[in-house]
Amino acid sequence: MGRLRPGHLVEAGFWLGLCLFLYVYSFEFDKNIEIYKFGASGWPRAIILLMAIAAIGQLIHHYVKGDETSSQIISAAVDDGSEEAAHAAHHETVKWYLSTFALLAIPFIYMRVPEWIAGTSEPGDAGLHTARLIVAAILIAVVVYFIRHHRVRVMLMLPLFFAALLEDFGFYALAPFFIIGVMYLFGERRPRPMVLIMALIFGFMLTMFVKILYVGLPVGNIEPFYSIGSWVVTVLQ
Amino acid sequence: MDAFNNFLQGSITLFSDPINILIFLGGVIGGMLFGAIPGVSMLTLAAILLPFTAHLSAEQGIMLFSVMYCTGVYGGAITAILFNIPGAPENAPTAFDGYPMTKNGQAGKAVGAAVMCSALGGVVSTIIMMAATAPIADWAISAFGPPEIFALVFFGLAVAASVGAKTFWKGWLSILIGLMIAVVGLDPVGGIERYDFDMPYLLAGIHFIPTILGFFAVSEIFVQAEKKVRGSYKAPKLSVDFPSLSELFAHKFAVIRSIVIGFFCGILPGIGATLAAFMGYNEAVRWSKTPEEFGKGKLEGVISSETANNAATGAAMIPLLALGLPGGALTAMMVGVFQMHDMQPGPLVFLTSADLVWVVFAAMFYANCSILLIGFLETKTIINLLRIPFQFLAPLILLLATVGAYAVRGLTIDIVVMFLAGVVGFFLRRSGYSIAGIVLGLILGKIGEQTFAQAMQMLHFEWSGFFDRPIALGLLIAGFLTLCGSIYGAFFKKAKTPQTPDPDSA
Repeated sequence: MGRLRPGHLVEAGFWLGLCLFLYVYSFEFDKNIEIYKFGASGWPRAIILLMAIAAIGQLIHHYVKGDETSSQIISAAVDDGSEEAAHAAHHETVKWYLSTFALLAIPFIYMRVPEWIAGTSEPGDAGLHTARLIVAAILIAVVVYFIRHHRVRVMLMLPLFFAALLEDFGFYALAPFFIIGVMYLFGERRPRPMVLIMALIFGFMLTMFVKILYVGLPVGNIEPFYSIGSWVVTVLQ
Repeated sequence: MDAFNNFLQGSITLFSDPINILIFLGGVIGGMLFGAIPGVSMLTLAAILLPFTAHLSAEQGIMLFSVMYCTGVYGGAITAILFNIPGAPENAPTAFDGYPMTKNGQAGKAVGAAVMCSALGGVVSTIIMMAATAPIADWAISAFGPPEIFALVFFGLAVAASVGAKTFWKGWLSILIGLMIAVVGLDPVGGIERYDFDMPYLLAGIHFIPTILGFFAVSEIFVQAEKKVRGSYKAPKLSVDFPSLSELFAHKFAVIRSIVIGFFCGILPGIGATLAAFMGYNEAVRWSKTPEEFGKGKLEGVISSETANNAATGAAMIPLLALGLPGGALTAMMVGVFQMHDMQPGPLVFLTSADLVWVVFAAMFYANCSILLIGFLETKTIINLLRIPFQFLAPLILLLATVGAYAVRGLTIDIVVMFLAGVVGFFLRRSGYSIAGIVLGLILGKIGEQTFAQAMQMLHFEWSGFFDRPIALGLLIAGFLTLCGSIYGAFFKKAKTPQTPDPDSA
């Protein structure tokens, strides 16, 4: 095994698997172009080939030198402390990765499951709105359950979940809770500064983007969130 | 004389419009602050502001970014000196001696040296840029066709792969993943849909703004969140005690050497200021009579690094404006600003938008001068602003990024893409991949494929056609040699990278 660790094999497997997937998918658009003999798939396939070579080179490098940095690389310049932080926080285990990816599924569950329950993807459908409200409530409860003990994992997931909810619940109803959630995940526990900073940031966003720059932020689709969002926009503009 | 007149005209345009003055000041202060605040960088600010440049004129947008570039490179020195956290890769060598100086109670002197040398390096570099860019662009119009541009893209990517990631292979994988993201959407020759997975959203390609925001701004927040769990940095001792002119004069050779190194490194696409700072520092050690004192708080270490990295900022604008090729992450975002205004940077900009070019040059000159002014007058204020707790900054940055991603096309899916890019960026960064490499690949990928297709059509699909074009051939050979050198280094050389000395051992 040389200096190889299981993580190195997973990394190489990921890249080679990605190459295989991209190569197989390239047959979907493998069409001739009259004036260009390499066709639409020539360039991406060349990149895929180089990716596979680089992935194998990386695997050989790990086999020979383990985690040693290449001599040509200015390593100190790229060392932003993220690897060290991950190591110090014991966030490099397979269990950590699996549970993180499991939590990251939450936003995607919200994007797919309500449509599946309601049996429709029609945006104005009342049944779909009800399904979305119920699924959102359950998923928010799950997030609240995990937030105290899995801060980094929830931090990775929370913005994606926020983005997934935006279309239905709107920026104006969600942003205050999002601000408080992020502050909490960064270790802030004092209620008064949290509320004060939330009001400051939210006020700044509304004044700057809604009142001054007229940026139309999402108001949501589901009642009463849609009415709240529209009311805020009407008052400010 | 023409250049001087153009510079005067650019200065008049810059300072005769109050909006321009406001944008200039915003860029100067914003670049310096975001460069200085631990955990974010000028790239974070640039990524956040990128979508909003659509509301500005192209002139104002490019001017804002170039000003932020100058002051942000300086701002990063403050965190490197005070917290041992370089604001950007180009400030990493500044920490080698700057942080030990802080530990020794000489933070003020180190910051003062960074102020003076950053300003000096930047001003000299800007002057050379003003004199050199137009002639290079004139020459490029006749000498640079699609084969040469493709060859330059290849050379730039080959060089960029060897800087920025933990290993050469990870550098290449970063760039290739960027190139692959650029493939999504319609192909540039036949308009055939590629990797759209039957999603209409992907037909137009993955928009670079949410991607850049995700990779830079959002992934930074995630990295900081992880660091927070581990427990973070200690507040440094503060003092303001600028070095005397005689102290700086004693290092005149180091300054001149670093300006020369910085300028020539900055002009190379793909590496720019980072290599400049490291080479400036390494040469200072090599030429010193007391090399053993470096890493223990030697003023010359800060001077060499900070002069060289700011000297690279002006030079980095030459390939961007003369050839249309970005040299780093921030100049890649500038290409984005050009594209948002339906413009393409390159030699023709000098013919079609000479005003824009000279306003930008003038703004860069004054931005470098303002480092000196603001650095001397406001260092204490900036140092105190660094005390803003990150837990209050993080939600603001995330919401600004959200609005930035949404404002481009009014699609919430862009916000999802941005946060997804943030998660991917987080995992790639902690595995030693280069975010800047991905973004360079993303931006240069479209230019590369388009010019490759044009070149091959021009050369009737004969590869030997490159042999008849000396510039293209030279660049391709240089790129291959760089690649071979990196592969040789990756397998056969022992790692001998500069390490941040342990200040406690001093």
